[in-house]
Amino acid sequence: MDIFLQLVINSLIAGAIYSLIACGFSLIYSTNKFIHFAHGGVIVASSYIFYFLFSLLHLEFYLSCILAVILAGLVGYLINLIIYEPFRKRKASNSILLIASLGVLILLESFMLIIFGANVQTIDYIDNVQGLSFYGAIITPLQIVIIISSIILFVFFYLFMKKTRIGKAMRAVSDNVEVAEIVGISASRIYSWSFVIGSMVAGVAAILISLEQNIEPSMGTGLMIKGFTAAVIGGLGSVPGAILGAFLLGFAENFGIWYLPSGYKDAIAFVLLFLFLLFRPNGILGIKYNTK
Amino acid sequence: MISAYFIHLLILIGIYAILAISLQLSVGYGGLLNLGHIAYFGIGAYTYTLLLFQGVNFWICVLSAGLLSAFFGWMSAIAIRKLRGDYLSLITLGFSFVTYAVLINWTELTRGPLGIPGIPRLTIFGFDTNENFVYMILVFAVVFICYFFINRIVSSPFGKVIEAIRDDELSAKSLGKSTFRVKCITLATSAFFAGIAGCLYASYITFIDPSSFTFSGIIPIILIIIIGGLGSLPGTLLATFLIILLPEPLRFIGFSSSIVGPARQIVYALILLIILYYKPRGFYGKLDLE
Repeated sequence: MDIFLQLVINSLIAGAIYSLIACGFSLIYSTNKFIHFAHGGVIVASSYIFYFLFSLLHLEFYLSCILAVILAGLVGYLINLIIYEPFRKRKASNSILLIASLGVLILLESFMLIIFGANVQTIDYIDNVQGLSFYGAIITPLQIVIIISSIILFVFFYLFMKKTRIGKAMRAVSDNVEVAEIVGISASRIYSWSFVIGSMVAGVAAILISLEQNIEPSMGTGLMIKGFTAAVIGGLGSVPGAILGAFLLGFAENFGIWYLPSGYKDAIAFVLLFLFLLFRPNGILGIKYNTK
Repeated sequence: MISAYFIHLLILIGIYAILAISLQLSVGYGGLLNLGHIAYFGIGAYTYTLLLFQGVNFWICVLSAGLLSAFFGWMSAIAIRKLRGDYLSLITLGFSFVTYAVLINWTELTRGPLGIPGIPRLTIFGFDTNENFVYMILVFAVVFICYFFINRIVSSPFGKVIEAIRDDELSAKSLGKSTFRVKCITLATSAFFAGIAGCLYASYITFIDPSSFTFSGIIPIILIIIIGGLGSLPGTLLATFLIILLPEPLRFIGFSSSIVGPARQIVYALILLIILYYKPRGFYGKLDLE
């Protein structure tokens, strides 16, 4: 029973982090309609930015958090402006954009590798406090913060998409670009907004990851797998679906390694993705998109 | 006399040429954007090595490495039967992650991250392949066979069916072609040669570990077939030379070895982006990447 409860808690924490990644990814996919692999690279870049600001420049903790999130948005904006925008002007196909984004992912990871080295870095902001015991399962205060801050972010995100002008315009573009442009929404502005917002959410995820785990340049790919698996099994392009998918993935992984060695975590994500694509290609929430 | 360094480069070029030509069959001709090619490479290398250490005959090792890779190619074709575009790439990419996870975690079989050292090179037809020059000739012979074989496939009527399916699957179906079967054969053939390339790699380096078969290894191969041009075999050969030789000067600038690896990745990624932007059809490409 203790193990079971502990696994539930671990699943929730993993799910909270994955859902932040999946949220941003899904938002970008829903407006841009191509798979932005470099989202993982944005996460790596922003966790190193955070590490640089907080551990190397010794800025104040909250200031470095805010700066890291803003700079994450800037990285996303620049990737869109420098890389994707020219491709879009050339009417490049989705496959070309997909391969281009793989290139950007490799580029970002390699830059971080050259600048900060391959060593694993840790950020010791919160001392290792004794975890709270909760019916025999252990949860640290940081993990509680992770879950709470992701919930707060979801609420903000939801309100942003439903209530603000930009959020509404984003939903219009993701629904139908031509019609949105007819009513005077500039699609290219919405594209770059979705990159900014999506990358800022990724920046929050990056901070939580660097506090909870260690950071290394090669982690982007692994996190990206989790992000898009969650987004696909939740229904690509649907943000609530992405959150649902992320928690499902968190549970599947943590309960999966009850039986399997923990190294199979990434493989579990892919098997889940594979099963969904075979039997339910539109994801849990079943929005029809171009799976064919 | 060619220096040892150039022989080393030529052998690498040969191995990459086999990988790229076989990937060209599935991506360029078959229109299946397969990002998991590196997994077949790894499966071939491990199958060859493990069987060889069991004392199995060399030819049977090579053949089973190719056939096992082909089997997984066939399975991938079944898996992606209903998928197209992005999803197909995702699943094939996923296949390479799963393969990597299995290689690194199934320690009883593969020794996991430690890798398998001391893979012997054998005497083939009385030639001792421990000599790198002889090995180079062996690799080129395999490149030639692979090129010849795939060239025969794509210029045969069957090859036209493969291309027809790429261009318009529905029409090919309406002409009574079993598109699913053709895709299976295409991917299995492509995977077979990747497996053979794996054998050559394993016995050349004499050491394999899972990190040689990670997903970032697909970038240079994809780059080669895009620069060479989709659906062009001579272009692929030319591009292989270019892509393998291009980052070599990095070695001589005097970067430390910990920087050369990422620097090479950066060079590849930048070339990839530039080519995709300015010349998405490569040298001799006949079609766009859809």
